[in-house]
Amino acid sequence: MSSGSGRAAIPRDLGEIVSPRSVGRALVVIGAVIVITYPLISDDLFYQNMIILSLLFAIGAVGLNVIMGWGGYISLGQSSFIGLGAYTVGILATRVGGSPFIWLPAAGLIAALFALVLGAVATRLRGHSFVIATIAALFLLQIIAINWRSFTGGTTGITLPIPEWDIAYQNWPFYYSLLALLAVALLVSWRIRKSKFGTGLIAIREDEDKAATVGINTPVYKALGFAASAVFLGMAGGIYGYYLTFIDPTGMFDIILSVQIVLAVVLGGRGTLWGPVLGAFLIESINELANQQLGGGNSRLLIFGGLLALSILLLPKGIIPSIQERWERRRQRGEDARVGGRIAPAAALADRGGAAAAGDGRPRQPAPRAGRPLLEVRGLNKRFGGVKAVDECSFGVEEGSITGLIGPNGSGKTTVFNLIGGTMSADGEVWLDGRRIDRLSPWRRAYLGLGRTFQITRLFGEMTVLENVVAPVHRFSVRQLGAGAVSGPEAARAEELLEFVGMRDYRDERAAALSFGQQKLVELAQLLMLDPKLILLDEPAGGINPTLVGRIAEMIRELNRRGKTFLVVEHDMPFVLGLCEPVLVLASGTCICRGTPGEIQKDARVLDAYLGEDFTLEEPVAVRDG
Amino acid sequence: MTELIQTIVFGLLIGGVYALLASGLTLIFGVMNVINIAHGAFLILAAFLTFSLWSGLGIDPLAAIVITTPAMLAFGWLVYVLTVRPIRRAPPSSSVLLTFGLALVLEAAMGLIWGNDSHSVRPPYFTQSFHVSQIVLPKAQVYACALAVVVLGGLWLFLARSWSGRAIRAAAVNPQGAELVGIDIVRVSAITFAIGVATVGAGGSLISVLYPFLPGAHYIWIARLLGIIVLGGMGSLRGALIGALLLGLAETFTQTYLSAQWATAVPYAIILVVLLVRPQGIMGTRLREDVAA
Repeated sequence: MSSGSGRAAIPRDLGEIVSPRSVGRALVVIGAVIVITYPLISDDLFYQNMIILSLLFAIGAVGLNVIMGWGGYISLGQSSFIGLGAYTVGILATRVGGSPFIWLPAAGLIAALFALVLGAVATRLRGHSFVIATIAALFLLQIIAINWRSFTGGTTGITLPIPEWDIAYQNWPFYYSLLALLAVALLVSWRIRKSKFGTGLIAIREDEDKAATVGINTPVYKALGFAASAVFLGMAGGIYGYYLTFIDPTGMFDIILSVQIVLAVVLGGRGTLWGPVLGAFLIESINELANQQLGGGNSRLLIFGGLLALSILLLPKGIIPSIQERWERRRQRGEDARVGGRIAPAAALADRGGAAAAGDGRPRQPAPRAGRPLLEVRGLNKRFGGVKAVDECSFGVEEGSITGLIGPNGSGKTTVFNLIGGTMSADGEVWLDGRRIDRLSPWRRAYLGLGRTFQITRLFGEMTVLENVVAPVHRFSVRQLGAGAVSGPEAARAEELLEFVGMRDYRDERAAALSFGQQKLVELAQLLMLDPKLILLDEPAGGINPTLVGRIAEMIRELNRRGKTFLVVEHDMPFVLGLCEPVLVLASGTCICRGTPGEIQKDARVLDAYLGEDFTLEEPVAVRDG
Repeated sequence: MTELIQTIVFGLLIGGVYALLASGLTLIFGVMNVINIAHGAFLILAAFLTFSLWSGLGIDPLAAIVITTPAMLAFGWLVYVLTVRPIRRAPPSSSVLLTFGLALVLEAAMGLIWGNDSHSVRPPYFTQSFHVSQIVLPKAQVYACALAVVVLGGLWLFLARSWSGRAIRAAAVNPQGAELVGIDIVRVSAITFAIGVATVGAGGSLISVLYPFLPGAHYIWIARLLGIIVLGGMGSLRGALIGALLLGLAETFTQTYLSAQWATAVPYAIILVVLLVRPQGIMGTRLREDVAA
């Protein structure tokens, strides 16, 4: 955002040399060198211990960042994984034998499995309930560890043998194994951010329902994200238990450890790669300060509780994003903002593959056969408490048509869309292209060729325009999760679609910064990325200027010529009557009439329910098919 | 048979007290969409206040509710203005972290003021009981439950009859709609938060005679209260009453027929099972936030 203030911009060349990125990189390298060489150059056990605990927090925070920073789900139960990892290693090493180190993979596995199970339980949960579930799981594990004495040793805990390596090596094995684990965790975290999995998680954070409608299998993403947050922390927990040589329920399943891990992410900056690491080292420094100078106990609790509350109140974004933001603001002073510029003229879709092939080599759609119903709705019902929003609604949409759906406010149009798209569930049947879809999840419906826009646009605000357009997923596969977030063919396809809607110049803008009309265009491009057979448009002409309305009508025609079928909800009568045929009329949740625009305008029921008796179409329709 | 009836009686007596404690939590959630994790810490704070009033001034702990309730009302209002109000536009998860931070601060403050060892309040009637044939009714529990019912009745009257109470209920049903008809949501939120904390002000005095308490006990209390409102349906006052009685019964049954050690696991197990099987709880619909149009 440009402030347009008179303050001189900092010299451009300086800004390029000392960018936050290069400063950040330099700091990371310096920090890494210090941490890697520290035990070799100093035998100070106090600082070695501090770094070991910092590494534990950092592994936890980097993991938590996957589900909390990107997925938007906070877990206050991360110490469950420390405890599970430690107990796994402790029980296996004391009962089966061998060095505790060889059992670390088992620790990671158990932690990840538990996260998957809890994640599966929590798939139906949003925000608050997810946090509650993670806290409850942590305390439940602690109680089980206390009460199941024969297995866990109860409150007496498990004592591991003192390490056997030469004393000259001090704590090196703990130190370097945790450091290696952190490196792997960071690598995986970086890889996730660059993959489809990562953009899917961010889409969930930004708007979970919308994410589902563009083909993101939200429960699987969430459960896998949670498991990814657990696996390395489980292994780190195993190392931590061995380091202490003592594993007990209150020390391991400790809510304060969870709080510190969350705090590290919040403080350093959620959604950043290095923020959690920075936060972890800060937290451990404060920890030691509180323990050494203030006697620990209540003072330490006061500091961490206060820090958590204050960082939410005063520094909600965390250190790294706040610095980046400040830097960006300084750099951008005086630059022209792109937002607010003109939308480029719409380009016809390039004919190679056209609107059909979506970059993944899917076959071109067969030419539409007129008269064949693509969508059929039979006896749909939806109640909200005492209100019957949709009442025995039945209608069909023929393949190749641009069908209009009109009706007074509150007649159930948007609800019908939500029921067809799967955002809400209902009684009754919905058939798409000969398949019954009313019991399918929104993403399954998207895979089958259903795409929709929303009345109030719902782009993923924090993503760029291009990221928004490539976010949709055509089908679910594990391999595709790991694929790069923006592959070459996908990016090319997305640019083509942005060109088509005239928004290519805006590809790197943040979606939330666009105007409402621009967002509608991007949302259209986004949905075309799914290559849907049937496109549901919810008020495409609502709230935007007349020129753009005409342009949108042109685009709909163009896409329709290329084989797309449309169902359009709209209040702009010239727009609907000039564009759509047939037109369906909805009143009180029921489809009361179906006909050509001409018939609709004369139908007594329609005039009574919606248009009004004095309805005449004054102006000639702005967009006539040429 | 006697044992069964006795267990049910104990369960219902404690359930009545739980109902009062959970009502504030569910009210705050219903109106503000905030889960006040510090609710348990407010409760323990009120218990410590009662302890000081009893041991320092000789005030009967159950009579102390006339002091602790307004004191916690004021404290709740202050906490709302200073911490919760500034983040009312932040994502809901922020409030969980914020109130968790507050809970830790309160725990630490109580530890610094009163110490971290277990405290209990023992008025003369502490060891006395009523007897109905073979059923034992400890006086402390009977009085506490009766007082909880009285305070709950007062809360119900306030919500049903007063203008502010109706505004609170309106805001709980539909905050945007309430705002449109002229209800000042920020003011209503402040009142709701203060009243929510006041209920545990009264509740803290009641539980001080029923259980020994220490600063760290706020975890088990917030777990119980969350278990109750998750079970009853978050945001639903009626659900909280039903959930409270069910949790009271579940705990006493586990204690009698299984073991006291596993009774502490009951709230956590309830939370997880309810969230798995019926996330919206018995009465609520608010928990499934995915049905927004």
